[in-house]
Amino acid sequence: MAGRALRVLPAKHQPPLPADKLLVREPLDPEAVPMDVVFVGGGPAGLAGAIELTRLVRADQEAGGTLGEIQIAVLEKASALGEHSLSGAITNPVAFRELFPDLTDSDFPFRAPVKEERVYFMAGGRAQRIPTPPTMQNHGFYIASLSEMVRWLGEKAESMGVNIFTGFPVQSLVMDGEKVIGVRTTPSGLSRDGTPGSGFTPPTDISARVTVLSEGTRGPLSQAWMNAAGIKSDNPQIFALGVKEIWETKKPLDAIIHTLGWPLPNDAFGGSFMYPLTPNLVALGIVVGMDYQQTTLDVHVLLQQLKTSPLFSEYLAGGEMVEWGAKTIPEGGYHGLPKKRYGDGLMIVGDAAGFVEVASLKGVHYAMQSGMYAARAIVDALKKDDVSENTMARYDALVDASYITSDLKERRNMRLAFQGSGLYVGGFKATLMTLTKGAFPGGKIDSEPDAHVERDVVPAEGFVPDGKLTFSKLDANFKSGNATRDDIPSHLIVGQDIPAEVAELYVHMCPAGVYELDRDRLVVSPANCIDCKATDVIGPRWTPREGESGPKYRLM
Amino acid sequence: MGAQRVKIAVCIKRVPDMDVRFKIAGDGASLDETGVKFDLNDFDAWAVEAALQIKDKAGQGEVVAISLGPTQVQETIRKALSMGADRGVHLQADRIPFDGFSIASALATELKDGGYDLIFFGKLSPDSSNGVTGPMVAEILGLPCVTAISKLDISDGRGTAKRELEGAQEIVEFPLPAVLTIDEGLNTARYPSLKGIMAAKKKPLEIKPATLNTPQVTIEKLELPQDRAAGRIVGEGSAAVPELIRLLQTEAKVL
Amino acid sequence: MANIFAFAEARGGELRKVALENVTAARKLADATGGEVHALLVGGPGIASKAEQLGQHGADVVLVCEHDGFTQYNPEATTAVAAERMQSGGYRAAVFSTSAQGRDLAPRIAARLGVGLVTDVTAVELNGDKVVVKHPMNIGKVMATVSMSGTPALVALRPNTYAPAQNAKAGRVENVAPIGDPSTARVVVKELIQGGKGKLDLAEAPVIVAGGRGLKAAENFKLVEELADAFGNAAVGATRAVTDDGWRPHSDQIGQTGRLVSPELYIAVGISGAVQHLAGMRTSKTIVAINKDKDAPIFKVADYGIVGDVFEIVPALTAAVREARKGH
Repeated sequence: MAGRALRVLPAKHQPPLPADKLLVREPLDPEAVPMDVVFVGGGPAGLAGAIELTRLVRADQEAGGTLGEIQIAVLEKASALGEHSLSGAITNPVAFRELFPDLTDSDFPFRAPVKEERVYFMAGGRAQRIPTPPTMQNHGFYIASLSEMVRWLGEKAESMGVNIFTGFPVQSLVMDGEKVIGVRTTPSGLSRDGTPGSGFTPPTDISARVTVLSEGTRGPLSQAWMNAAGIKSDNPQIFALGVKEIWETKKPLDAIIHTLGWPLPNDAFGGSFMYPLTPNLVALGIVVGMDYQQTTLDVHVLLQQLKTSPLFSEYLAGGEMVEWGAKTIPEGGYHGLPKKRYGDGLMIVGDAAGFVEVASLKGVHYAMQSGMYAARAIVDALKKDDVSENTMARYDALVDASYITSDLKERRNMRLAFQGSGLYVGGFKATLMTLTKGAFPGGKIDSEPDAHVERDVVPAEGFVPDGKLTFSKLDANFKSGNATRDDIPSHLIVGQDIPAEVAELYVHMCPAGVYELDRDRLVVSPANCIDCKATDVIGPRWTPREGESGPKYRLM
Repeated sequence: MGAQRVKIAVCIKRVPDMDVRFKIAGDGASLDETGVKFDLNDFDAWAVEAALQIKDKAGQGEVVAISLGPTQVQETIRKALSMGADRGVHLQADRIPFDGFSIASALATELKDGGYDLIFFGKLSPDSSNGVTGPMVAEILGLPCVTAISKLDISDGRGTAKRELEGAQEIVEFPLPAVLTIDEGLNTARYPSLKGIMAAKKKPLEIKPATLNTPQVTIEKLELPQDRAAGRIVGEGSAAVPELIRLLQTEAKVL
Repeated sequence: MANIFAFAEARGGELRKVALENVTAARKLADATGGEVHALLVGGPGIASKAEQLGQHGADVVLVCEHDGFTQYNPEATTAVAAERMQSGGYRAAVFSTSAQGRDLAPRIAARLGVGLVTDVTAVELNGDKVVVKHPMNIGKVMATVSMSGTPALVALRPNTYAPAQNAKAGRVENVAPIGDPSTARVVVKELIQGGKGKLDLAEAPVIVAGGRGLKAAENFKLVEELADAFGNAAVGATRAVTDDGWRPHSDQIGQTGRLVSPELYIAVGISGAVQHLAGMRTSKTIVAINKDKDAPIFKVADYGIVGDVFEIVPALTAAVREARKGH
């Protein structure tokens, strides 16, 4: 066709989140289960928060304080802790050390210390070794599995008396005016049409003096609450999508590897990683900013292509993929942080608040640390018997005075240097930023939400998986442990009259194969969803669904 | 009417999640449990549900969840308590033997003087996959036993059950007390509610050592079956049918 | 020289196929040591006429317990007579089937005798003073080799594992009296309800033909039924999508939350191979897939595949199977 290429603006087709369902202003059920503090989400932030809170309460009791018994609950949507946790991961042990001062690094759930690291620039499948950029130096850190870290934290929390409820997603914050007074869990056993089926269990209300949102990336409750409270950030939050696999390999891997460049197009931000959990158990993945420029860019397919390059295939050949998964990562950094992460009876911690440092790919220790600060502020509030935002504000003060904020501030423009600048110019700018510790370029680089970024409609690249090294989304989904019942009602809110090229965007955006194009019609298979939240960023909106749905990661 | 107090024991087992790739442990005769998730056996969950429904209908009674095995089985007993069982008994044993008769003997010793009106088992557990414990316990205790029940009605000290056979069904009558094993289709097990989970933490869980006899059945070796060889497309359309028939006859030998 | 006991399972006055499987397996064991096979046949009046078949498949002796009280399956009275015979008979091993009846009966006898029992056995042999069996565990994902001490060792075979083989022996009938009065048994089978249309159960059928969405409409399931019929020993299965839409009852559903099946031959018609369905039939011995989409995941799992229009291929296959099975 003549003239400009067809472009898609995802925001045009995205419905809003159902705020009236996520924030419910009505009295709690008189039978509500009474708790003092509820953590929504059993990831590193929520669990570290619950552990720290328990410790502080215990210390208060032992010192003859006035707190008394404090009931703490962690609500997790997966059927077991760790099943929805996914990260690289190279972890900075600082938060573990602070949370467990009596333990040593060898007690912590890490797999191995980082020894050698290698960074490559890829062009057309060939790898060129480049010096490790200073932001990516991982000496002193540990290779770890987030699923394993979360299970370990969970065991510690449970042994300390924290009530952990798995299989209980939260669908609403219950509010009294502007005060958050508790949460409501999702029902289960609904038929495909949304009516109660066999095994129907209605929602449960839980009352709480303080609710901590540790929902993780792109949490719907956090979004809805911040919108309603009018909380802004300097820049909108932006996201990357990471797709990850775990392989048992014949050839041992002796170093952590990062790559830039191919197979990402030059106008996309991201890179890949490959880490040895053990020399023959390797975690690898690719991370791509969701402001990518082509409607048919497919991160899962990019990962499959990446594996065909000799740098990767030499390790993977003859091996076996044992797990597959995906997750989005908030990449807005310092300027993307909400200006206020607390309210009457509420705090937001971890990825839900955006505490991720992109350049070094770190988020776990920030998540844990933020959970611990929340716990400290909560103890003060409980002692004063005042959970209004004036006392909750202490949480932000603790975070702002900490390394969380100073780290993010130092690297604040790193990611944004790439938005619109492409790989080479962006890379140059990023290097300057590092060398000047963030002084250059000063000020703030503006960004737009990913859904507001227009993409070119281009035909999809053909991709035929070989079933040995490369896999279809369906096969991959099987390896995520996803066994969601086929007849589950859809939790995804799709816009009206989705044109074919937008449907194509969804088809390629979703790593799990939830969306398909049948002739020109969008077909949604909600049971395939693995809760990565990519859809919520530029496609149909994600809402909480029945507990125990989604993936069952073991080693992610 | 006439609420009668009913006492029901449910014998439950903790089994690994079947959706994983299993690994054989170093001794070659057991499974490597690292990273494997365990839960209450589905058949046992239906058995717990059956017991709870009978107690609910009777209006008053007691459901006791009993499990034999290492410390971790207490988690499984707590799950039954979360569903609504009243108390639990953990028969402590370092390992769950493979020999059904060993397990049955130990359970029978515990159940003997319990005064139970009904003793429920799941039809089988998918890990050891034997399905013998229930009827063996019944035999040791000299109690009537009905297995593989898909429909159940208890009233006035007697019961009627439907049993699933291959392409047929039996209607069976029996007196109480009795041992029953539960099959799929009898009910849908209730999920523990949040309240139920909280309440379970306070319910009594008695721990005692299991009295195990010497097993006569032992696993010598465990192996993982071979992966399937790659298949092939034989052809397109009905023209491929003769070749398929030939392969099924000569190669696969199934026709 | 070891004598082997075999239980000749009957229902409704007829021998079940597994009875012949049990005798065949017992014959193999007995032959290994030069021993005899003694089959126990329990049933209502007239059951004795079935003894001959047992002799033809290798029974040296057929113990017949014929009594009114056994017109329906009588677990307690059958346990009593079987246990008594096995105790006095000095058998090395006793072969049952892992059928519904076998699962009900064998454990009672084992417990009464205080011996071990392994069910769902796919291979059995005598090894020194032990009986060694193969037993699939963990939904077929793990295979156990199990040794059994104590005599008799009770094994319950997986149906369809030992094909009945003619091997005529004396089949000398010995009448055996029930122990006590069978009508005083506490557990009473009041009624036997035969399944509709004499359909084969998915768990037992050596061949399963399953249909999926590719058949487009409920009435097209006829094609699947006809192909199953052509085999003569096939059951019909369905995918979750199809049972959800009400084309087939839920008891036909094969898949993770439906039935797990492991037939000799599994034919998937118009099934793309969704994850949950594959979990249900992956362990079938031979898998054939017919689908119009050559990239359908089912072809990864299938041993043989035909790409094309199911409405054209299945009738052709049905005719070819009928032809191939003529004279079976």
